[in-house]
Amino acid sequence: MKATLKKIFPVIFVTVVVFMAVALLSWTNSITKDKIEFQEEQQIQSMLGEMFPDMSRYAFEDDIYTIYSDEAQLGYAFLALGKGYGGNINILVGLENETTIKGISIISQTETPGLGARVSETSFVGEFAGLSIDDVALRQDGGQIDAITGATISSGAVVDAVKATAVERVKSLQEKE
Amino acid sequence: MKTASFWREFTKGIVISNPLFVLVLGLCPALAVSTSVDNALGMSVGVTFVLLGSNIIISAIRKIIPNMVRIPIFIVVIATFVTIVNLVFHAYVPSLYESLGIYLPLIVVNCIILGRAEAFASKNPLLHSIADALGISIGFMLALLIISFLRETLGTGSLSIFGARLFTLPILGEHPMAVFVLPPGAFLLMGLLLALLRRLGVIKSE
Repeated sequence: MKATLKKIFPVIFVTVVVFMAVALLSWTNSITKDKIEFQEEQQIQSMLGEMFPDMSRYAFEDDIYTIYSDEAQLGYAFLALGKGYGGNINILVGLENETTIKGISIISQTETPGLGARVSETSFVGEFAGLSIDDVALRQDGGQIDAITGATISSGAVVDAVKATAVERVKSLQEKE
Repeated sequence: MKTASFWREFTKGIVISNPLFVLVLGLCPALAVSTSVDNALGMSVGVTFVLLGSNIIISAIRKIIPNMVRIPIFIVVIATFVTIVNLVFHAYVPSLYESLGIYLPLIVVNCIILGRAEAFASKNPLLHSIADALGISIGFMLALLIISFLRETLGTGSLSIFGARLFTLPILGEHPMAVFVLPPGAFLLMGLLLALLRRLGVIKSE
């Protein structure tokens, strides 16, 4: 009896420790969950505000944010997901109308610091402002966007995601009309 | 006697067994996040919390941990604290969470923490383990601050802390040596620092 107990004690011990860890984590999660969701929403909201300075409210429907000022409709925005060199790149894309990009912002990315991570910098994201959706491509592919030196994959991932998602969203906007 | 040994466990982590410069542990997360002083501070806070938590728990249960499952137990304890840090940073300091990126969850595999659990906390009483955790964390923070200060000033030509620009160097500000922000620069600088500290006799080879 004592020998068996000694044999299974490690198993019981690990189980107990893991249960305690899980309990602690679900408690932490329940505390931070709302705050994290709130942070992410805040981030998108402030990015929308930067993109559309006259924004007073927005509506979210079918993956598309429609931006309004007090009097008029200012444009649309939507999220795009790029497959970068080091993982997903989350992008917020603003449209002035159904053909022109208002601007883009990088919400989150895990690219190489100093190289691919520079897709977040204004010198890169600024290139998208005012472009026609058709011109969203790297210069080497006949577009208007200069890739970041040493980070062609990251640059391309952003460009491809913006273009593909923009085309898709514009199509769904046009279908609705 | 007791306070003396507490003090000794505390101070040894700062210089004589500094985790980065003497033990040369945890290089991957240290060199990866030392691109800016902000990141270095954030990483140090994360590591301090995890190390303190894991040292306390492991020291408290050290007498009942079955020897054959001790490593899995250490990892579970460490991973739990790392996940807590991850969630808390995400919820309360999102900008830091973003810039530390993947290196925050990777604290789990930081060998400083597992190393202290195995080499110290599992063999020493609670109070000493706390002193050990604090000392090692401060040593880690100091080393990281030195590296990140040099990398940020040389690599970007300026220094900013929490978004406030402190100074911009005259010539470097316009032509920064970007290599220092990149991974090769980190190794280069680390090697030079180690050589310098050894030459000055701050650290001694065993």
